[in-house]
Amino acid sequence: MEAIAADHVTKRFDTVVAVSDLNLHIEQGAVFGLLGPNGAGKTTTLRMIMHILVPDEGSVQVLGQPASDRTQDLIGYLPEERGLYNRMKVREVLIFLAALKGLTEAEAAVRVNEWLERLGLADWSGKKISELSKGMQQKVQFIAAVAHQPPLLILDEPFAGLDPVNATLIKDIMLDLRQKGVTIILSTHRMEQVEMMCDAICLINHGRSVLAGDLRAIKKSYGKNTLRIEYTGEDNFLDQPDLVEKLNHYGAVVEVKLRPGADPQEILKAAVARGVRLTRFELVEPPLHDIFIEKVSEAHA
Amino acid sequence: MRKIWLVIKREYLTRVRTRVFILSTVGLPLFSIGIFAFTMALAERKTDHPVRISILDNLGGLAPQILLSLDEKLPDGQPRFQLVRDWDRPASAKEAYQELTRQVRDSQLDGFLEVPKDILSGKDATLHTRNGSDYQTDRTIGRALNNAVIERRLTDRGIHIDDLSNVMRRTELTLVKVTKNGESEENGQSVLVQLSIVMVLYITLLVYGVMTMRSVLEEKTSRIVEILASSIRPVHLLTGKILGVAAVGLTQYLIWMTTAALVSTYGAAVGSAFRPGAQAPNFHLPISYLVYPVIFFLAGYFLYASLYAAIGSMVSSEEELQQLQMPVTLVIVSCFILYPLIQRAPNSPLAVGLTLFPFSSPILMVFRITVQTPPFWQIALSLAICAATTVGVVWLAARIYRVGILMYGKRPSLVELLRWLRYT
Repeated sequence: MEAIAADHVTKRFDTVVAVSDLNLHIEQGAVFGLLGPNGAGKTTTLRMIMHILVPDEGSVQVLGQPASDRTQDLIGYLPEERGLYNRMKVREVLIFLAALKGLTEAEAAVRVNEWLERLGLADWSGKKISELSKGMQQKVQFIAAVAHQPPLLILDEPFAGLDPVNATLIKDIMLDLRQKGVTIILSTHRMEQVEMMCDAICLINHGRSVLAGDLRAIKKSYGKNTLRIEYTGEDNFLDQPDLVEKLNHYGAVVEVKLRPGADPQEILKAAVARGVRLTRFELVEPPLHDIFIEKVSEAHA
Repeated sequence: MRKIWLVIKREYLTRVRTRVFILSTVGLPLFSIGIFAFTMALAERKTDHPVRISILDNLGGLAPQILLSLDEKLPDGQPRFQLVRDWDRPASAKEAYQELTRQVRDSQLDGFLEVPKDILSGKDATLHTRNGSDYQTDRTIGRALNNAVIERRLTDRGIHIDDLSNVMRRTELTLVKVTKNGESEENGQSVLVQLSIVMVLYITLLVYGVMTMRSVLEEKTSRIVEILASSIRPVHLLTGKILGVAAVGLTQYLIWMTTAALVSTYGAAVGSAFRPGAQAPNFHLPISYLVYPVIFFLAGYFLYASLYAAIGSMVSSEEELQQLQMPVTLVIVSCFILYPLIQRAPNSPLAVGLTLFPFSSPILMVFRITVQTPPFWQIALSLAICAATTVGVVWLAARIYRVGILMYGKRPSLVELLRWLRYT
């Protein structure tokens, strides 16, 4: 049984086709990256999974059942745009939201207390939401997504606005949940997070899936065609149009996309000949960032 | 169902606990009890003290005749008006005037009546008092003076009447309202009660309608609606919200109506227990004054709250909300200001129309019931029309709401709104 099985899903708003003939298959227990530029149809897709919207064509199955009011309770959702009832107390909001996902209020109270404890918010449970800092509100919102112990978790930019300590805390919880068999759909623009956390991805552009599958397999299919170089000295050793297709300067690091068949050894020779001091010279698979840009701009071309 | 209940509970509890709710719920009854006690105190005060007056009579010989008509008695049997001194044609009118003014200023007198020499030819007399607005005393003295002047004019023409004050006794009009339940004396207080009821209905419909609208917008601007939509159907969310706010309004009404019933039934008894002999104002409220407002509040609230909720879901900001809510608010306000039409002719075709039209009936039908209760079938028909309209409006509002809560940015045009109705 798959966590999500969506087949030939199309959703139109008037004349705009938000999602077009999309197939989405997510293994249970996977961390799945749902990627795409702004306005690609990610939110519409997520809303159809959560049964907020109903597809015009095609079918959406959640954990083996057609998406419905009942499958809503199987999903925990952290939306990108955060917000809670500002004038309510932390504990009351969380119990209300967990109860709305099918828990009894007594059960909800127990779960909410556990999570507040775990995220270091126990002392704040009686405070109003508006009295909390942005970071704390983020954590409360995260609890709202997980408190009812959903087997499927949808996280939209879960780390946005979190300091490194809290980001690590949330990441560890995500890994822990995954260990317990929870399927996580991660929607984000931060490609390095996807590379570190996701097993599989789907890249959507203009409502269509343009790239989908196992993340490692996708990267492998591009081959090791990228050089990651760190150096001090002049950079004119990279002025070799017959070898170099594209250069990405990140300040300390340069990523060099090689032309098909180009020998990286030639670049190394040129660097040594010009007296450049190399601290790193590594042949790698292309970063997801580049694959994203390539796929998205292909569609625009 | 369970989820609707959760929404109702949240709406109810978060609102009932607010300071505004507690203040307005407890404040209004306290205020009206205060007014009641104050009116009693006033009624009592009037009967307590004798009024000491002097008469500066520049015509001469009028004072005894005036005094004849000032024959009111205090509860202890003493005359209410005491003539301290009759200044009959004093040598120096100016000096007498100054002396009397001083006495009034120093509280030796409550007032003096200055009668001009040519009063018989129509010149006005003057009453000098410290308290210029003691309406009761003015009127009594004025009437007594009038009797005296008329008697003098008749005497001057050769007509002698022994008991002129009896001949001149004014005949008062007592208003008696004829209702199904018999007759009851009308004394101005019932108009006050009618207006209070229509005011309370108007204000609560507006306040609770707007409360529902803000509640929708608050969920939208705080974006929590996204989480809610992933947990409960929008129609159920809307239902819970409207019912929750209705429960808040009902709570307030029950507290108000219970207080009103208690004051109406026991107020006079409690009042006279504190001050024996004091006269309590007649505040008896028929049961229909307590029941119909609640029924029609609910009917009107469901109608207007669904309209307001739809508006709240269409906009993304407070400014847009202000613009878009104006038409609905204006309808409620105009219903209220039309009440004099009903008051003047409660059975005119216009009044019947206004009390059957669903957007005005919740306020105006209740007013009409208090002015002159229409046949029951009209009340039932009015409620039925209102309920049927509400069903239609709720259906429309729900379809707008479920699309609107997830849309941000520009508010929809009418064409877009019509398209929303067709979305699945």
